[in-house]
Amino acid sequence: MTSNNNDFLVWNFDFALTTFYEVDAFQLETLIPPQLSLQEAAPGVGLINVTAFNFVEGQLGVLPEFQELILSAIVAPDLRRGVPSAAMFVLSLTSTCQEHLDHSHDYYKLPIVEKLTVSLLNKKNHEINFEDGEGKIAQINNCAPIIEYDNSKRYFQAFTKDGDDVLISDVFIEAPLFEHQENGDTGKLYEHPFFKGIEVDDPDVINFLQMINEPGSAGKQTYFKPTKFV
Amino acid sequence: MNEKDKLEDLFEYTLDMFLKSAGKDHAEITQFNRWRDGIVDANMYTFEVPHLHAQTPQVEVRRNSGEILDLICFASYNYLGYSYHPDVVQAAKDALDVYGLGATGSPVLNGTFDIHNILEKNLSEYFKRENLGTSLFSSGYGANVGVVSAYCHKGDYVVLDRSSHASLIDGAILSQANILMFKHNNVEHLEKILNKIDYENSRILVCVEGVYSTDGNYGNLSEIVPVAKKYGATVLVDEAHSLLVAGPGGRGVAEECGVLDEVDMIIGTFSKSFGGVGGCLIADKELVNYINYYARSRMFSCAIDPGVTGGLIKALELASGPDGDQKREKIKENAKHLRSLLRDKVDIGTAHSWIIPVIYGDEKLTIPLSDYLQHHGLDISLMMFPAVPKNRSRIRAFVTSEHSPEQVEKGAEILLNAAKEFNFLLD
Repeated sequence: MTSNNNDFLVWNFDFALTTFYEVDAFQLETLIPPQLSLQEAAPGVGLINVTAFNFVEGQLGVLPEFQELILSAIVAPDLRRGVPSAAMFVLSLTSTCQEHLDHSHDYYKLPIVEKLTVSLLNKKNHEINFEDGEGKIAQINNCAPIIEYDNSKRYFQAFTKDGDDVLISDVFIEAPLFEHQENGDTGKLYEHPFFKGIEVDDPDVINFLQMINEPGSAGKQTYFKPTKFV
Repeated sequence: MNEKDKLEDLFEYTLDMFLKSAGKDHAEITQFNRWRDGIVDANMYTFEVPHLHAQTPQVEVRRNSGEILDLICFASYNYLGYSYHPDVVQAAKDALDVYGLGATGSPVLNGTFDIHNILEKNLSEYFKRENLGTSLFSSGYGANVGVVSAYCHKGDYVVLDRSSHASLIDGAILSQANILMFKHNNVEHLEKILNKIDYENSRILVCVEGVYSTDGNYGNLSEIVPVAKKYGATVLVDEAHSLLVAGPGGRGVAEECGVLDEVDMIIGTFSKSFGGVGGCLIADKELVNYINYYARSRMFSCAIDPGVTGGLIKALELASGPDGDQKREKIKENAKHLRSLLRDKVDIGTAHSWIIPVIYGDEKLTIPLSDYLQHHGLDISLMMFPAVPKNRSRIRAFVTSEHSPEQVEKGAEILLNAAKEFNFLLD
């Protein structure tokens, strides 16, 4: 787990819920740059990742507490940099905080969409409910009956696009983590511009894996400034 | 980072993480070897360990360190012990004397010997159905890849159980057909998928297995086969882990479920209960004739070597007679015995075949647990994510008819001690 630069920001959070869903790989392929390739769960089965964070007050020194929702396609990582738990090409980012959205666009070059208007977190039940002016985006909940957290430091890679360039960032997440692949109801993703290009309102879109960071714990996301991927 | 932390870091990795790297360099190869070397250097590498004699219930292996270990073997697919049965070995030697070492060519060209024809004829007759033929392949993998890719083409549909063996999936990919997967053994999901296809105008192949080796459970053939037929699909059943073992006459799970006559293609593997190597398709003669020419894994591979073929003929002869009946009874007794020793103490799932999973959960335990089991006397197979779900990593015990009750008991004792040591005993 290494990083190639020292230009990073640390984001503190006290809640995170990540769900990976199986979707048609053909749809996803059209959304990622040609330099990247999908990591498939099975032939023709691509994976998306929908992650919600609750960042605590004081990020960037000034921001209030806010919530973020981020959508990615799971792609093959750049193993020259290290071996991540997963690599993601970011497709959409939204947040309850406009300053955060502007910063994410400028600093991380992330593809932002409209600011969230409704953001309900039920941390105790590991449930989120987000919508914006366009309507409902996602209601997601944990579906594992038993949760056992384990202290964890995970390395991820985040790809994004800046014009024709593909950029890559190293991301480290430290927080007590529970990961599972239980079958069960994890809520609903809605047809919404946030999911543009992916048919999420399909009963065959099923959850593949969930990662839950312990609510109330001092989670830390170390997110490096992106560099050009070559 | 100290040595212990470095090693624990290696335990975090799963094989899917080295599958493919972005970028021009093949960094996956470098990273995979870094991981492998770390495990080897720590003398915890339990894969590819050479066995020093036949795959009997008691084996000797040599670890990378040079250490020789005497182990009870629950890792071999030698379900009926035919790989070292004296009559089978003698038949192989006899064939070797007559035909030499290799077939030296494709079965379609010069590679077919008369003993291949005998094996084909005997297998077809074993299934007691009119107009059956048999096509031989030099591996079970080659049989599935060759049959599926020759039978299906662009525009067709291959519908697979989500737990299907890699060879079926690879065959489907190679065929360029549309690939659809239904939830494991879930007939409702299968029907939903079939309903979405324009089934009246499409060619559909539904692929299932007799016994799934991850859980040791039977394919739900009694429900799946009629539903597939209702939608006009061709049905392929891979009986790799069940041929000669399941069913009253050893004809597999399709026989046991009473749907054998409805199955269009039976795939068999010779590397498991036959104790040899190779694979076969048993199906209508016309289809077999076509597959013989169009399955590229057959056309462009050398035929099964003569020694093995001689041994396979003998193994089939033994398995279709009283010897097979006794062994089938014994393997089920042994499996029942092992299950009874483990049940309620560790999680063994709900299946009832001769493959018994012992769930240890956390994939990070895989390397140290595998090393522990070998060093405490057990040769056994471990399986982790992504082959099985997260937190459902498992040991798989392959029970054979040849294990003695004492070996089964000792195996259970080692497993339960491991469960105590690695904290996966049930409360």
